[in-house]
Amino acid sequence: MADYPQNIESKITGGNNEMSSNVRRKPGIPYVYIIKKTITFIVVLFSALTVNFILPRLLPGNPAEVVYSTLVREGATSISPAYLHQLEVEYGISNAPILVQYFHYLVALFHGNLGVSLSYFPEPVSSILLTALPWTLYLVVTATVISFFMGNRLGRYAGLNRNARKDVIIDITTLFFQSFPAFVLGFILLLIFSVELPLFPIGEAYGRSVTPGLNFPFIVSVIYHSILPLLTIILTSLGGWVIGLRNNIIPSLNSDFIKFSRSLGFRKSQINRIAYRNALLPNLTGFAMSLGFSVTGVLLEEEIFSYPGIGLYMITAIDSLDYPLIQGIFLLVIIAVLVANFIVDILYGILDPRIRQEVG
Amino acid sequence: MSMEATVGSKIKKQSLFDAISAFTHSTTIRLLLGNRKSKIGLVILIAYIFIGIFGGLLSPYSPTAYEFAANLPPSLAHPLGTTAYGQDVFSQILTGIGPTLAVGFLTGIIATGISVLAGLSAGFSSEGVSSAINAVTNVFLVIPGIVIIMLFGAFFLGDHTSLGYIAMIAILSLTGWAWGARTLRSQALSTAKNDFITSSLLIGEKRLSIIFRQIIRAMLPIIVSNFFFTAIYGVMGLTFVEYLGVGNLLEVNLGTTLYWAINNQAYITGEWWWIMPPSILISLLMFTFVLINFGVDEISNPSLRKY
Repeated sequence: MADYPQNIESKITGGNNEMSSNVRRKPGIPYVYIIKKTITFIVVLFSALTVNFILPRLLPGNPAEVVYSTLVREGATSISPAYLHQLEVEYGISNAPILVQYFHYLVALFHGNLGVSLSYFPEPVSSILLTALPWTLYLVVTATVISFFMGNRLGRYAGLNRNARKDVIIDITTLFFQSFPAFVLGFILLLIFSVELPLFPIGEAYGRSVTPGLNFPFIVSVIYHSILPLLTIILTSLGGWVIGLRNNIIPSLNSDFIKFSRSLGFRKSQINRIAYRNALLPNLTGFAMSLGFSVTGVLLEEEIFSYPGIGLYMITAIDSLDYPLIQGIFLLVIIAVLVANFIVDILYGILDPRIRQEVG
Repeated sequence: MSMEATVGSKIKKQSLFDAISAFTHSTTIRLLLGNRKSKIGLVILIAYIFIGIFGGLLSPYSPTAYEFAANLPPSLAHPLGTTAYGQDVFSQILTGIGPTLAVGFLTGIIATGISVLAGLSAGFSSEGVSSAINAVTNVFLVIPGIVIIMLFGAFFLGDHTSLGYIAMIAILSLTGWAWGARTLRSQALSTAKNDFITSSLLIGEKRLSIIFRQIIRAMLPIIVSNFFFTAIYGVMGLTFVEYLGVGNLLEVNLGTTLYWAINNQAYITGEWWWIMPPSILISLLMFTFVLINFGVDEISNPSLRKY
């Protein structure tokens, strides 16, 4: 008798949705859905590669000449006219038909060859990106995950206390912080907590006195240095989760299956849990999208915190018109976001049959 | 003849009056003004629009002239001090609000237009077209707009130009429409399932007429809320473009003021009067749009209303 309510509860959460009546739930792995998603993924990936290929060719002159003249202007001494030819080869620029050039470009990409950076000459773009990527990834993933959990809990609390003072305060505060561009909130926090009150370091990813590696002082230093950058991203992204969950749980509390559960005599905490689970689903599908939002925030705030991630290199690359690096960053970010979304899409398709139908 | 004319104009006036009173008594406006948050938001927005229009005339000095001592703290002559280049910050702020608002509004209008088109055509066309639009929407939804701004901006710079206002609004609209398109599409699909749409179809009303006269009307609150969201993205995007240094840095708007302040590391050297006003005004503007959207949300989602 004791587990009777739980049993009903799971039945109710399983069948609450108005769509479920006309959805056939096929068990097992949704092959058609996965194939469709894979095709879309490949098409999109090649579109991004193609944009990256075409844009430089729309420039007056060719990218090799632009790059070459930039190097000469900056007084790189190891540059000779022969290097222009080498650059042209590297860019696949020749009088060959455009499709042949495109093919050479793709071959170079699949070998991980993104060209040579100008501002960090002669370091290859791929090695710069490899050293920068872990820092950016760490900030993006940590901030998104913390923000997701905190935001949903806060949104649940606000929605269950709708229109009470707590609700209004939570909504307004989180949305207020969301109104800041991440880099603005970043330097405001830096100004308050590092310059005025020296509680946190002014920047960089770890202290000068620790040696990078898997040792305790290094890890502590990394966490300590990342508190302000993480806080910035969490504060600017919390509002979306809070309002999303709040605005989902309020109608959910008025829906028929909740009224039915009430009439069955469920405890309030059980009712809240059912309503919360249902309100969580739309927020779950927003998770992949919010990754893109966090990426933007992190890329922009890294310069403020002198954090050695992709964003710091992005600013340098733009300042010095370092096209190989700019294009490398473009490709890396787009591929990373697309792959993350692809994985999430597939997982959703397996977890929730309704999504397969929706995407079609 | 003249009597007819006066009667005609009277009727016209009467119907105009009716229209206005219908407007002010409509649920939409009543809800917007009845909600304290959106009322505050509307008041602040009107203040912004006022400064946006007249700010240039009100500003005491030229916003770009380098005619004062550098880094003066706030005083009576310079209510917000001067920049490291000897420009008057107060004048820059007053002049800069207008272009900032304009970029936000125009991005909002264009991006919302694209979302309405994409959302409706995805909702009401053949399966092939619909899933193609859907795929494109999903791509733009997940790709961070910032890398597209970076790529295009860098190539504009390489061409010895920068992203002017028109190019900026174009890029921001291009990267900002997808979210709205997805919301509008699902809304259009659920609206189309209603009985009154089916009966209009059975009576023989044309599809286009149904879309424009019935479905768009039913979706209006969502379109409005989408406008404010994309306007937020427009203002936010303006700061991104300027912050990356690929924008028109010699123009005066809140984004460029912020760029020069950050570029001189005013947040570490302590010239708060230079860096804080544009930061606060940009964030407050976006917060204002969010506040107005609270009211709009209650219109489109009645279960959120207070009873």
